[in-house]
Amino acid sequence: MTGVSFARRGWSRRALLGVLVLVALSPAFAWGADAVGYAEPLDNAAEATGATAAETTINPGAFPEYSVSGVGPYLGTLLAGIVGTGLTFAAAAGLGRALRTD
Amino acid sequence: MHTPDGFLHPWMAALFLALAAAWAAFAVRRARGTLTESRLRLFSVVSAGVFAAQLLNWPIPGGTSAHFVGGAFAAIVLGPHLGALSVAVVVVVQALAFGDGGLFALGANVWNMAVVEAYVGYAVYRALADRSEPLAVVAAGWIGVTAAALSAGLQLGLSPAFGYELLTVASVMAGGHLLLGIGEGLGTLAAVRFLSTAGGDDRVDAVEGVRA
Repeated sequence: MTGVSFARRGWSRRALLGVLVLVALSPAFAWGADAVGYAEPLDNAAEATGATAAETTINPGAFPEYSVSGVGPYLGTLLAGIVGTGLTFAAAAGLGRALRTD
Repeated sequence: MHTPDGFLHPWMAALFLALAAAWAAFAVRRARGTLTESRLRLFSVVSAGVFAAQLLNWPIPGGTSAHFVGGAFAAIVLGPHLGALSVAVVVVVQALAFGDGGLFALGANVWNMAVVEAYVGYAVYRALADRSEPLAVVAAGWIGVTAAALSAGLQLGLSPAFGYELLTVASVMAGGHLLLGIGEGLGTLAAVRFLSTAGGDDRVDAVEGVRA
């Protein structure tokens, strides 16, 4: 069995820095998505079959569509990205600790 | 690829909620006790990284856009069970906190993006790794995300909201992601390489994944 190596101290800090770079780029990508107005294949399939009107929102979440109430769209994307990345990290760490047996 | 509420027939949504719950119980049993301290950190970092990568919607010439899904990446780095659990955590956070993907469609979204992409991607990686590791990683992402899209297309194509137009929906989903999946494959290779570079070259803690 092969494995990713983590010999150098602080690898997780370097990896998290890379994650934060992705989050920092998110407003630019949100702007780009708005500018070109492209859709994902799922949206295209819904459009082709007339299913678009069937979409409902049962739970918009605290940050609907990665936005923050009262904040501009791109700053909202950035803030939602920071919150979501932290939430995901915490949720994974919590699950991982629950799975550890030692 | 996040299916919202209202698109799936209720029985389809219920079936995949049950399947995803059964898979999660299986994966937790398989992953339990395999988490060393470094693997626990890796699990958390990979999950956060997949969330962040999914924030970025790439416009593709021709009028479509796509985001990195990350199931194959997580499976290659963490092994299939823990890798799929990692993406499942992302999909659950997205649905609950951001309304990205429906609540009743949560099982289907976990099944497609976490289970299908991770296990198919990992199988492709293992089948090709002896020949060329970079090629195996790219193929894992490419075929994994296409399989996930086909799975979503089958679910949606068998739903009344889509007029039971199975062939149309499955071909739009799978065909679209067959092209977009090249980006998923290259992104998977870049992510695996980045993680390996961040960690250095001397293996300390062998994990069920790739040495990129």
